[in-house]
Amino acid sequence: MPQVKIIAKNFMDMVASLTARDLDNLYQNPFICEAILRSLPPLAKKYVLQMLYIEGSVLAKSMEEWVLADGFTKHRVAIDRLVQLRIFSEEKKKETSYRLNPTFQTNLQKHLIYGGALPREPMPSNVTVRLPTLEELEAYALGQWECFLLQLISSAQAEKPTNFSSSMMKVFQRGLLIQRDKESPRLSESGFQFLLMDTSAQLWYIIREYISNSQERGVNQADLISFLLELSFHVAGEAYNVNTLSELQKNMIKDFADLGLVKLQQGRKDSWFIPTKLATSLSISLTDSSSRKEGFVVVETNFRIYAYSTSKLHCEILRLFSRIEYQLPNLIVGAITKESLYNAFDNGITADQIIAFLQQNAHPRVAERVPSVPENVCDQIRLWESDLNRVEATPAYFYDEFPSRDVFEAACDYARDRSGLLWEDSKKMRLAVKAETHTHMREFLRGQS
Amino acid sequence: MASAPSKLYSGLSLALSTIFFFFKVVEGLDSVIADDVSLVVVLLDTNPFFWTTSSFPFSHFLSHVLAFLNAILTLNQLNQVVIIATGCNSCDYVYDSSKTANQSFGNGRMPTLCATLLQNLEEFMTKDEKLGIEEAEERITGSLLSGSLSMALCYIQRVFRSGSLHPQPRILCLQGSPDGPEQYVAIMNAIFSAQRSMVPIDSCYIGVQNSAFLQQASYITGGVHHKPQQLDGLFQYLLTIFATDLHSRSFLQLPKPVGVDFRASCFCHKNTIDMGYICSVCLSIFCTRHKKCSTCGSTFGQAQSDDASATNRKRKAPDS
Repeated sequence: MPQVKIIAKNFMDMVASLTARDLDNLYQNPFICEAILRSLPPLAKKYVLQMLYIEGSVLAKSMEEWVLADGFTKHRVAIDRLVQLRIFSEEKKKETSYRLNPTFQTNLQKHLIYGGALPREPMPSNVTVRLPTLEELEAYALGQWECFLLQLISSAQAEKPTNFSSSMMKVFQRGLLIQRDKESPRLSESGFQFLLMDTSAQLWYIIREYISNSQERGVNQADLISFLLELSFHVAGEAYNVNTLSELQKNMIKDFADLGLVKLQQGRKDSWFIPTKLATSLSISLTDSSSRKEGFVVVETNFRIYAYSTSKLHCEILRLFSRIEYQLPNLIVGAITKESLYNAFDNGITADQIIAFLQQNAHPRVAERVPSVPENVCDQIRLWESDLNRVEATPAYFYDEFPSRDVFEAACDYARDRSGLLWEDSKKMRLAVKAETHTHMREFLRGQS
Repeated sequence: MASAPSKLYSGLSLALSTIFFFFKVVEGLDSVIADDVSLVVVLLDTNPFFWTTSSFPFSHFLSHVLAFLNAILTLNQLNQVVIIATGCNSCDYVYDSSKTANQSFGNGRMPTLCATLLQNLEEFMTKDEKLGIEEAEERITGSLLSGSLSMALCYIQRVFRSGSLHPQPRILCLQGSPDGPEQYVAIMNAIFSAQRSMVPIDSCYIGVQNSAFLQQASYITGGVHHKPQQLDGLFQYLLTIFATDLHSRSFLQLPKPVGVDFRASCFCHKNTIDMGYICSVCLSIFCTRHKKCSTCGSTFGQAQSDDASATNRKRKAPDS
């Protein structure tokens, strides 16, 4: 069901699917090594560290002794991941053994002992005129990102259009919007789910689309990935000279500015880019760790929603499943009603997604409480959803006039074994099976007679 | 405790006894640890009395530890490292990765770690030495483990209160000097408050005899205690055992205690004893018979047979 989510989580799968040569080239860059290390599951990180100073290979058997019996599946997952990313290479002589990728190994060893340097030197402060403070930068990044999202979901609502060409925007919208002929495009099911995800997941989804699209434009995926990961090691709020970038990176940095990853500034002679928190936290959000963001929504037992937010986007998101009653400068007040929920269910949002959204974005004051969303509200949302699912339609085939009871019973058993039996009436010897079992059933009955 | 040399220390030990009674179990800690973001508070033994006698030079030790800290910070961008130096007259914070990360030194984050740490450590050592000269008449050669433990716990409590999105804290003691029995009460109080707030204390003992305090600390708080056999490979020991985050600990084989030294120190003469007298009201431990408990003030009743207790005094507990 949540197709979008899977894509967003597995950005690393995309890295893993690069060709062996591209991957080995990526590991030439120590920053990529670090970013990739951070993206691994905790156990895999541990293994890399443990193997870091072991020259030569370690037997798979002796590695299995590192884990307790409970952790064996985790162990397999970790090893598979490491092999997939070519950090471990498998050697099969008599017994399976693993060794660390030598480039990766030397890069990390150097990093641990000498400590890494920054990817590039920040510009001295006398050249740059006035740098924004970290708060200003964060506000800028969020503003830019929300503006982008608004444009994504409905081009008319954005206050200032971004530089993305309309063809690029179409690529992003692919899968999120559906356009029925002559109607204005509306959000698709996965589009709604996309809106309910947290920022980092959304960002990764967009970046993934961006990267896969870049290949069509003839840009190497590996270059893009390496630049993105490198970007996350810059210091937020420092200015870096644009001239230190390659042509290709200069083009990309403009797109990243539209997403709020960097802020571009123009001085008298030079121009520079300032990475924002969104960029520097890119490599954090690669792991599955729970989102670390403060929420803003308070839900009361009387189905009212108070959202402490100034964002237009939040308002739009809440509007998806609630009735917005009034909007104050920093507060949005709404109510969850049966009608508003039916609207949401029609659009393909599930009750669990709504509840998950409310829980993830709970205001810190209510987030401490257990449960953060009142139980009666959760239950009612689920009840209203199940109201819609009281009648289920299944395409079926109906059989009757069996020649004998034996044939009828054999047919029933056969259908039941394939879990295709929907209904049977043994008195009158009639039965109904699911449409997909019909062909098998027909074959079976032919064999019987 | 009154003989403790520095002002800082006597203040801390006072705070400790109150902490022990007033700690509240922080809510939500018992929830399953889902990620590997960790806060490691490292207690670094800088006791010159130990390091001058040790066969393993302090500079080697420090280079192993620095590489280890780099490794911790590399594992996750949100990981945080705090280093507290345990001297023999005072203890102090010498490095906090959350503070220095925001400072923009010209030469980047990792070199900053080395530079700030070494500079602060040097300042600390000179200060610590001066304090030692002032109190020259009663020289204490042990490290102030109780002081640095309680500083670590205070720091962690502040992190707990900073909001729900804090990293998972743990304490790592890198200790070389032998136990100071005079700190027994303070250390035990610190251990119990760590246990209550569910902070594991890992300990790595690099001295000659094993430390009973550290064994108990790790045992009680659910941390790992290990005494490396080969100090040249300290880095590998640190990486393999002590770099393990709390989340992964439930899946990995880690060294298990082979027998913990549970001996206590008496409250009256600070001797390490394995049999003694215990106050039945407040559980204070004494090596000799007293008329009155020095901790809670309850008067002990006369033992049933005075002469019997005199001959067999180690086995006899005073009746209340």
